[in-house]
This record gives sequence, C-alpha cells and structure tokens, in this order.
Amino acid sequence: MKINYLNLNAMKTTKFLFKTMLCLALVSSFTSCSDDDDPAPVNEEELITNLTLTFTNTTNPGDVVLMSSVAPDGLEDGLSTETIIGSFTPGASYALTIGLLNESESPAEDVLNGDIIPEADEHFFVYAVNGLNLTMTRDASDIDGPDGSKLGVNTTWIAGASSFGNLQIRLIHEPSTVDDSDEFGSATGGSEDFNITFSGVVIN
Amino acid sequence: MKNIFLILFILITSFGSSQQCNSVLTGKISDFHDNTTLENATIQIIGTNKITISDEQGNFEFKNLCKQTYKIEVSHIACKTKVVNIEVDGNTYKLISLEHHLEELSEVTVKAKEQTTTKTAQETLIKTDVLERYSSLSLGDALKEVPGVSSINTGNTIVKPMINGLHSSRILIMNNGVRQQDQEWGIEHAPNIDINNAGQISVIKGSGALAYGGDAVGGVVIINPSRTINIDTLYGKTILGGQTNGRGYNITTTLNKNYSSGWFAQVQASYKRNGDFKAPDYYLTNTGLDSKGFAGRFGKRNFESGFEVYYSYLDNEIGILGASHIGSVFDIERAINSGQPLLIRDFSYDINAPKQEITHHLAKANYYKRFQGFGKVSVQYDYQYNQRLEFDVRIGDRRNIPAIDLTLQTHSFLADVDLDSNLDRKVKFGILGRYQNNFANPDTGVRRLIPDYDKYDFGAYITTEWKLKDNLILDGGLRYDYVHIDAKKFYLKSRWEERNYDQDFADIIIEEFPTQYLTNPVFNFHNISASAGVRIDLNDENRLLFNYSLASRPPNPSELFSDGLHHSAARIELGDIRFDKEVSNRLSLSHSYNTDRLRVLSEVFYNRINNFIYLRPFDFILTGRGPFPIWEYQQTDAELYGIDLTVIYDISDKIQFSNKSSLTKGYDVETDMALIDMPPFSTINQIRYTNSNWNNFSASLKSEWVFEQNEFPDFNFEVEDQLTEEMVLIDISTPPAAFNLIHFYSEATFDLSDKTKLNIGLGINNIFDQSYRNYLNRLRFFADDLGRNFTLQLQLNY
Repeated sequence: MKINYLNLNAMKTTKFLFKTMLCLALVSSFTSCSDDDDPAPVNEEELITNLTLTFTNTTNPGDVVLMSSVAPDGLEDGLSTETIIGSFTPGASYALTIGLLNESESPAEDVLNGDIIPEADEHFFVYAVNGLNLTMTRDASDIDGPDGSKLGVNTTWIAGASSFGNLQIRLIHEPSTVDDSDEFGSATGGSEDFNITFSGVVIN
Repeated sequence: MKNIFLILFILITSFGSSQQCNSVLTGKISDFHDNTTLENATIQIIGTNKITISDEQGNFEFKNLCKQTYKIEVSHIACKTKVVNIEVDGNTYKLISLEHHLEELSEVTVKAKEQTTTKTAQETLIKTDVLERYSSLSLGDALKEVPGVSSINTGNTIVKPMINGLHSSRILIMNNGVRQQDQEWGIEHAPNIDINNAGQISVIKGSGALAYGGDAVGGVVIINPSRTINIDTLYGKTILGGQTNGRGYNITTTLNKNYSSGWFAQVQASYKRNGDFKAPDYYLTNTGLDSKGFAGRFGKRNFESGFEVYYSYLDNEIGILGASHIGSVFDIERAINSGQPLLIRDFSYDINAPKQEITHHLAKANYYKRFQGFGKVSVQYDYQYNQRLEFDVRIGDRRNIPAIDLTLQTHSFLADVDLDSNLDRKVKFGILGRYQNNFANPDTGVRRLIPDYDKYDFGAYITTEWKLKDNLILDGGLRYDYVHIDAKKFYLKSRWEERNYDQDFADIIIEEFPTQYLTNPVFNFHNISASAGVRIDLNDENRLLFNYSLASRPPNPSELFSDGLHHSAARIELGDIRFDKEVSNRLSLSHSYNTDRLRVLSEVFYNRINNFIYLRPFDFILTGRGPFPIWEYQQTDAELYGIDLTVIYDISDKIQFSNKSSLTKGYDVETDMALIDMPPFSTINQIRYTNSNWNNFSASLKSEWVFEQNEFPDFNFEVEDQLTEEMVLIDISTPPAAFNLIHFYSEATFDLSDKTKLNIGLGINNIFDQSYRNYLNRLRFFADDLGRNFTLQLQLNY
C-alpha cells in the first residue's frame, strides 16, 4: 500500500510523542518508587493519658483523696483504669488540684497548663456527683472560662455526711453555651474531650 | 459543419496539451472500514471536465492524461468526500479508500440516536441540556435524574452517588476516559469532579462496561466532554447562577475552537461559592463551600487518527456542619434528643473546622489510529494527583494543621484495540497497567487513618458484540485483573493483640516501637469478571434487555486498614487484613415501551454479592470519653434487588407528565437483617408545560415523595451513664419520617442574535419550606435538611 507523504510525518511525530510520554511516566514512577524509607511513627500530641484529681484537706494537709484515671493509649480511644485512694472526712473542706498529662511523650507533656489553660475561653470543666454528699464552688481565683464563667480548675469541695457514690468530671471543648451558676456547671454543644466517672467514692 | 469544428477542436486541444498526454490512470475505490469495493463512487479530476463513476468492482479509469500531478475528488453517497493528489506518469494505478458507515462511527450523529456505551446493560444517558441545570450543584445531584440512583450525603455539599443501593468503592467513575482515583473509599469523600466539565453522562447499573474495570459491583458512571466537530468554528457558553439558600453564586465559562482539519481546543473554568445553608427553622452553621475548577484540552481528531491532551484541576474547600463535631456517644445522644443543632450562629461565608480541603489534578494524553480493514488502536497515559486534607477542631498551635493529610498519585497506561471492520461482529480488547502510591503525612500529629501503600494493577479484557439480526444483539465480555498492594502500617500493640494478628501475622512485623509495631502487609488479588447480555426488539414499540454480569472487587484501604477512632462518627472502626475480594453476580432485565406519546421503561435487577464487606457495631470500649461503640467491618453474603420505573406521557403536544419511581431492597443473607443505608422507596411526579412559540418557554411542577425506610438494621445500643448508673439508649438506627417536597422550575430561551442564545432558568426548591430529614444524610442526627431555595440561572450560548 502506498503510504502518503503526509502520513509518514505524522507517524514520526506520534512515535516521538509516545516515547516522551513513556519516559516521563517512568521517571515519575521512579521518583515515587525511590521512597523506600520506612514511614516514621506518629506519637499523638493531643493525647491525655493521665488524669489525676488530688483533693487536699485545707486544714489537714495529710488528709488527701487521690483519684486517677490512666489510659496508656490515650483517654480518647484507649481503655482507661480508674483508681481511688483515700476517703473524704465528713465536714472537711478540700482544695482540688487537677493534673492532665500526656505520658506517651518523654518527658511527659503537661496538657492542662500547656494546652487547656492557654485556651481557657474554649474549654469548660463540668462536675457532677451521684449519691455523694459533696458540694463544690469555683474559687474566685479560678481561671476565666468562656462567656464570663469560671473554667473549673481551682475549686473547693465540702464533704457532708457519710455517703458513697459516683463523682464525674467532664471537659467540654468549644461549648455553645455554659452555665456555672450551680457551681458544678452545665454546658450545651461542643464536644467532650473526656468524660470520667469515679465510682465507689466514700465519705466516712 | 458542427462536426468539422468538433474534430478541429479535439485535434487542437490534444495538441495543445502536453506532447505526451497518453497516460492512463486506473484505480479502485474501496471502503476504508472493511475493504469492500464501492460501486457508483464519483471520481472527478478537479479543474477539468473529466468525470467518471466506479463500476461494480469499484474500478475506474481515466485515459489520455498528461504526466503531471492531478487533484482528484472522490465522492460517494453517505461517505465523506475525499480529495487526493495523484502523480500520473505513464500507466498509473491508485487505490483510494473512503470512510463509509459514517453513522456507525459516532463521529457525526446523523439521526438523534442514543449513543450509549453498552447494548444490553441498564444504561441511561443524561444529556447536556439536563446537566446544565445542575451547574451550581454537584455530580451526585445530577446523577439522581436517573431512577435507581440516589446519594449518600454528609450535608448537602458532599454528595456521593449511590446506584441501586451501592456506593463508594463499588462505583467506578470515568472522567473523560480516565478512571477517577480520589479516595472514593471514604463515606465522606465525594467525587472530585466539576459537573461543568461534563458534556454528557452515562450511568450504567451493574458492571456491564468491562472495558473500564472489573470491580464495579454497583455501577459505572461515564462522564464525557462535549463532542468536537470538524468544521472551522469558535463557540462557547457561560453560565451564571445564584441561589438564595446559602447566598450562593456560581459562574462557569467554556470556549471551544474547532478546525476543519480536525484540530480542536477547549478551555473551561468554574467558580462556585456559598455560605451557610438554611433549614426552615435555623441556619446550618459552617456549611459553606468554595470551589474552583479549570480544564483544558487540545488535539486533533480525524477519522484515521487523532490525539488528545487534557488537563483538569479542581480545588474544593468544604465546611462540615459545626454541630456535627462531637466527642462522645453522649454528644450524639444529646444531639438526637435536642431535635435541632446545638450550634447555631448567624449567617456567614466563613468555612472553619471541621472542614475538608481537596485538590485534584488530572492529566491525560491519548492517541488513536485506524487501520484499514482492521479497526482502531488507541493508547493512553494518564496521571492523577489527589490531596485530601481534613481539618478537625484542634487546640493550640495545631489549630491549622489538618488531622488527615493524604496524597494519592496514580499513573495508568492503557492500550485498546477496536476490531470493528465487521459491524455485525465487533470485538474489542485491551490491557491496562496502573501504579498508585498513597502517602499519609505524619506531620499531622494524628495517627494515620490510612497507611502508606503502593498498589499495582494489571488488567486485560475482551468484549464482543454480535448483531445476529436487525432486532437481536448479543454481547459479552471477559476480564482479568491482578492487584498487588504493599503497605507499611503501624498498629498499637494493644490493637494488634486484640485483633489476634499476633497469631496469624507475626511475620509481617518489620520494626518495634515502645507502643507500636510497624508491619508490612502485602496482598495479591486475582479477579475475574465477565458479562453476557442480549437485546431483543420484539417490535417497533417493545424492546427487552437481559444481562448477567460477574464482578470482583478487592477490599479497599479503609476495609483493610481502619484501626481507630473515626472522630466525626464518634465510633471506633476496625478493618481486617484477612478480607477476601467481593464477588457479585448480577442479573438484570429491562423492558422499554416506546410510542409517540408514551414511553415506559422498567428495570429490574438482582445482585448477589458474596464476601460483601460492610461496617456494623459489635462491642464497646470504655474510654476516658465514655463508652465508644466499636464498629467492625464484616464479610458476609448479601443480596440486593429492586425495580426502577420511568413513565413519560405526552398528554398533549404542550403538556407532559412523567414519573420516576425506585424500590431497592438489600439484606445480609447470613443474619437475615436488612442492610444499612438502603435507599427508601421514592416516587417523583412531574407535570411540564412547554410552548415552543413562546421562546421555548417551559414550566414544571415536581413532587418528590420519599417514603420512610421501614427495613433497616437495628444497630441501636445502650450505654451506661456512669454517673447516674442508668442505661441510656443511643438510637442511631431509626430512619426519619417520610417527606414530600414540591419543586418548581421554569425556563425560556431568547435568541439575542443568530449565533447567541440566552437561556433564563428560575427554580424554587422545597416551595413550602418543609422541614425534613433524609435517611441517607449522615448529618440527619444533628439538623434538618434544606429549606426553601430560589435559584436563578442565566446561560449564554455563543
């Protein structure tokens, strides 16, 4: 078959185009293939692995109730273990100190002072008790939270008559509304960063 | 007397022309396609009055030609006229072939026939004029024009098409000849395609189109740009739109330049922006969208050969309803019980976290050449780059760092051969080679949702189409795919033991860290797919289609590797590296009845999917955020079946009634439970008035009635509120009530000049501002769907 002159040129051009595309493709696939290094592990920075609530008797520093929740994989999606050491003395007044740590990092990261308190206007601690005669107030020196409320970091607790029950602490991130008029606090919207209940808390 | 002059004239002219004008040119005219000879072709030597006709064998002859180059024009009825230069020197023989069978080659549409891709599959074509109405919306919205196609949404800007109940990795999307690779395994990942790029869309239910892939268990969506025409022309269109709900505006412009030589070029750009949408009673805070797109292509398209170079770019920033950002199961319970979103602010165009930012680049180059008596060979290379960033609500300096940063790159090589020399026995075969790399950026500070992996795909297929009689067509196909996945995945030691991987997969650990293992799972899948079908035209009005298809789908990265908290769903999702591929056997039967006034199309299907993979809750974990349900991917056997109906009736030549209804059922065969997220029964009725004398004015009223899904799996669970020690019911299963929405649309086209047309379209969606929630909207726990929306669209064609 007689090939037209024009066709021959087109063939040459297309052969060249084809080779170029092939080369380009191989080059780009090699550059992605050259990534033979293993990926680096990610240690999550926003983890909270340890929550500790230390209640210290304001008149008797030796009288301490320690509640801790430990989750090595993070409170978020890992199993946590709650422990309570000590019991409340009826009638006593306790100052609560909160500790929030990320112990998956070395040295351990202080999440409370490093992340939460600097963004106090986007966080809010909510407390609740069930069956326990415990009341609380948010100190005047407590850090300011969203909408003129108190964050709930510096609090004072008063133990009433003998009883036992549950104590819950929740941390809400970016709540829509907050209300601390009942001291324990309530919030709507936002998302819970953690929701931990200690059961078997004793006042006796 | 006349004769003497004639003789003298002939003598003079014969002396006048070259001294050696006794060359003879003979030749044969044949059909390029199948080499048959063409009788009665007209051959004329341009510039002379020498003209002749080819005989039964296609032969022709010219005598007394001079030794020079002549320009010969060959024409034949229903063929494209061809002009060739022939150098005549003594006795010269020339073979000339013409392009016959124009109407078969889809280059020029002679009649208004449907140019479908398949012959026996359930395929519906959505044409340009319908697509233009969806300019301000998304691909998933436009596809719902087809009964049986619904969508699974996350809000109303993330719309994932669902064909007969199946979505995500079970739907294959072809975008201008390139298989879309954009992390479609995610339930919140909508296809990254600019609807304004589409000239026409084919929706195929089931995997009938084996040339594109063998894993389309649900269906195939083929998006093609508008056709090029081989004439010198410059034309374009601009669409400008606005809508009240979301205070949205959008603009898109396309410009086309075509040449008669076959060269063509097209550029297209779009921009779309909206702020917070509004449900009847409140704003849906943080549902804004910012979308930019650009596409360009150029090439040469002739009958014998052609090439195309195409590039497209799409950038989307999508806000996700602020109130859907939850931390725990109790947040969901509070959301469900409150009846309205717990975060409502005034209208704003701001897009904050939670949000998605996706960039998609697509480039392709292809070339084809037709060989006489053989067929068409085409080769293609395409490259895609998809980067997905998902921003969660984070604190501190991590605020602007995405929680998910995935980059997916895909290279594909395709070669296809179309043997269409015998139009009654067409054969098509081809091969595919693909390399894909996924990179999960660890700089997010969040454990990778999907690990780094390399994936290699090799495929080969053959399809054939037999026209046994004018009214009987058979088609069939076979395809083999080999998939190799090589991943590097980190597992927390606690999860590794919980999944019992320590027993079965200890040999894939390659490195150990304090709390994690780095593993290297490698998978190989061999997939066979096939299809066979028949199309029978019983008479002028009735046509039957029957099709069987076998499709195999390897598990996707989410099904294999999910291992952790899915924040936006407040649940832990676990994949399994032990999964097998899904195998689907699908039977479909369609009947169409067409007369002047009435068209009825009924499509029935039955799809049995073995090793069907889906997510369901099975346990709890008590974490520091309270109890989290653990959802685990299961592999089971499932069956789906349903019927889709379309009725179009011309009540008069101005009034048309249409109905589109769809019923789909799906069950887990092993547990006898309904499958989750099955579309409820829906029926859409429309009355349309058209008057071609009034500038093609038309007005239509549409009633969209979606029933309540009464068959759903009960995945409700109770969790203990540890404080009160009470059980709390988390009802995530109960579907919302049925709803009926009324929509109005009207348009008219004005001729501004003989080349420019202006089309104005006015629409009112949800005229009565009805509150409703859609079962297939994952945000239905938090807020109602859209309220009333006025839309105005101006389209200029020039």
